[in-house]
Amino acid sequence: MDLPLLSAVFAAFSITMYVLLDGFDLGVGALLLLQPHEAARNHMVDSIAPTWDGNETWLIMTGVTLLAGFPLAYSILMPAFYVPLIVMLLALGLRGASFEFRPQGQRNRPSWDAVFSVGSIVAACTQGLILGGLIQGVTIRGDAFGGSVFDWLRPFPILCAGSVLFGYIVLGGCWLYLKTTEASRHFAERTLWLALPAFLMLFVSACLTAAFTQPEVRAAWKTHTASLATIVGMMALAAIVLFASIGKRSELRPLVAAVSMVGLGIAGLALLIFPDIIPFRLSLWEASASRLSHVFLLSGAVFVTPLVLAYSAFAYWVFRGKTPVKGWEA
Amino acid sequence: MNLDAAMLARVQFAFTVSFHIIFPTTSIGLAMFLTVVEGLWLKTRNPVYLQIYRFWLGIFAMAFGVGVVTGIVLSFEFGLGFAHFAQIAGPVIGPMIALEVLTSFFLEAGFLGIMLYGLRRVGPRLHFFATCMVALGTLLSASWILSANSWMQTPDGVAMQNGRLVVTDWLKVIVNPSWLYRLPHMLTAAYLTASFLVAGVGAFYLLRRKHTLFARKSVSIGMAFAAILIAGQVFIGDILYSTMLKHQPSKMQAAEGFWERQSQSPAPYYWVIIPDQAHQRNRVAFGIPYLGSIWLTHSLHGRVEGLKSTPRDRQPAMGMVFYGFRIMYGIAILMFAVAVASLWLRWHGGLFTTRWFLRSLVIMAPSGIVATLGGWYLAETGRQPWVIFGLLRTVDAVSPVPSGTLLSTLIAFIFVYAFLMTAFLIFVFRMIRRGPEAAPDHAEASASLKNALRLLESPTANAVLGR
Repeated sequence: MDLPLLSAVFAAFSITMYVLLDGFDLGVGALLLLQPHEAARNHMVDSIAPTWDGNETWLIMTGVTLLAGFPLAYSILMPAFYVPLIVMLLALGLRGASFEFRPQGQRNRPSWDAVFSVGSIVAACTQGLILGGLIQGVTIRGDAFGGSVFDWLRPFPILCAGSVLFGYIVLGGCWLYLKTTEASRHFAERTLWLALPAFLMLFVSACLTAAFTQPEVRAAWKTHTASLATIVGMMALAAIVLFASIGKRSELRPLVAAVSMVGLGIAGLALLIFPDIIPFRLSLWEASASRLSHVFLLSGAVFVTPLVLAYSAFAYWVFRGKTPVKGWEA
Repeated sequence: MNLDAAMLARVQFAFTVSFHIIFPTTSIGLAMFLTVVEGLWLKTRNPVYLQIYRFWLGIFAMAFGVGVVTGIVLSFEFGLGFAHFAQIAGPVIGPMIALEVLTSFFLEAGFLGIMLYGLRRVGPRLHFFATCMVALGTLLSASWILSANSWMQTPDGVAMQNGRLVVTDWLKVIVNPSWLYRLPHMLTAAYLTASFLVAGVGAFYLLRRKHTLFARKSVSIGMAFAAILIAGQVFIGDILYSTMLKHQPSKMQAAEGFWERQSQSPAPYYWVIIPDQAHQRNRVAFGIPYLGSIWLTHSLHGRVEGLKSTPRDRQPAMGMVFYGFRIMYGIAILMFAVAVASLWLRWHGGLFTTRWFLRSLVIMAPSGIVATLGGWYLAETGRQPWVIFGLLRTVDAVSPVPSGTLLSTLIAFIFVYAFLMTAFLIFVFRMIRRGPEAAPDHAEASASLKNALRLLESPTANAVLGR
């Protein structure tokens, strides 16, 4: 059995879970800055408070799967994205702490909300910068990172940062549309009307720029023309469904459409870079750990992941339906 | 100190990991305490247990939150500062940490929401189950990370192939020679930390004659656990000492503060030294005569092995190791004394009224945290110059990141973490000052516990709870 491939599938699964789940968390966080009413902000935070921790855990899962299964890739990528990673970790830290600190007092709550929001925005942007840096190409010398720590500071990664941020905002808007009522729902509606076109524009320009900055992207388009075109077509369809369902009766449909859209985007990306673990530089087999490491990692992944998904789903089910306007205690 | 990349990477890791460990130590201990208290409430339906639960749940939530966000940093820092370590040892510690994430982080995260916000929505039994799962998660997390760290202390079950480590036997990697002693040592430390925190806050209220019933229960439960745990800890610590003496003699040589291969006879037990590593001697050394021989060799005139027994290029820096050990050990002695006093006072009915004792409990409230930090400094600085003992040197493990960048991020970490710590302490002190009734809303126990909570807030309860 091709164990490295299976570990890579698990890593891809983890990062997809992360983007979809923490995506709407971060999106809701980013939107706090635009919401002037404190009661509405409380409502927004309440809608993600019981489940954010599990969502963020998928990020650790991804990182650690890389460390366990593909130590060479991990040891090249961490120094390559040293600066955006540390900024992301600090931003996530401040944001996570704000979750616990903002209920502690009325007086400072607006400041904590600002920290929360800026932390979410910065985290989303750094993730986009890393994505852009990966596609643009990481410099490897021997079996270590050989570039400069600021290689990611170029126009293309910055464009990706914008796409990721607005992608998360779209997810966050759809989440609020599903979970909140009254004023917050109208707020979500207005957000989606603006954020979705912004996301689509940024995403399309990022795709076009990618083809110019990275010749391998063009090559991949040539080999996978049909499947990539299908994915793009389905994304467009999801976007249209999303547009059409804003303000309509079904409260779940926008979120389903947005999740499909982003999920398809990830699938397209996976198709572009497969079978590389560092895009266009290092294949997953070249970076792989020895067999027993995969055996251990995968036995954990195979036996424990279903359990994790089951009780995570249970946690969502406990907090199903509309978030109470006065918080979970009301 | 030379501020090269290796040193900066080490300082950054040391700073972030030291800051981090404060919070899991607290939350591992508090999770178990909350489980016990909620169990007692389910059994007795005595509202004071629910009151204690609600109060500590608020502090637990904050400690857990800060622990999570500072822990994420560590899972990336293996590669950020020590890429070469990640490359060589990733196949060994990576899968262990992956299993930690799968079996414990997700478990904690899944049930934490229910524990903190859930129980207008689930019954008291399910709430208790959620508390148990969070406590189990903290225990599993400690088990995996202690296993990974113990493997770095006493590596086993691996072979070096083409400069990479390859696992030959997972059982030997996980159940490595020191894990079985270091895990109970750390867990007991965390439970002791919570016991002293709980008892300290109770004593604070007793001294101010506030929240009497709450405070008495807190002091009583806290000191009951502390008395049992410290006795166990002394025992576990002793076994661990001889295990480490066997596997890492250099660490224990540095920990006792002697330089000569064989110390003078009778050997004193040093409490203060100023070591001079360059000249392999102590500039200043104060200790209690004979005690070194008695404690360490169990004879009146026995000699203790000194750091010169280890070649210079394999010696840890004595100062850090020695003081890490002395801080931990000194506090353990104080804890033992307080525990003995508590048993005596309990026997004579003065546990809640003896003011000098209550004052010492207030002072000792953070003692578990300080002792745990001391212990980790002993463990980690004593392992140097190795990152994986005997296999990989720390200087060979660092990332190709310029020292200027490392310095900037170190400064950023210091600012952000100082900010987090300040906010955390302000809110904890404010919660303690406000007292148990005013525990924040989001930490309320449950809605199906709605009736119990309503009762708790009623005039009858106020009378019962002595408010």
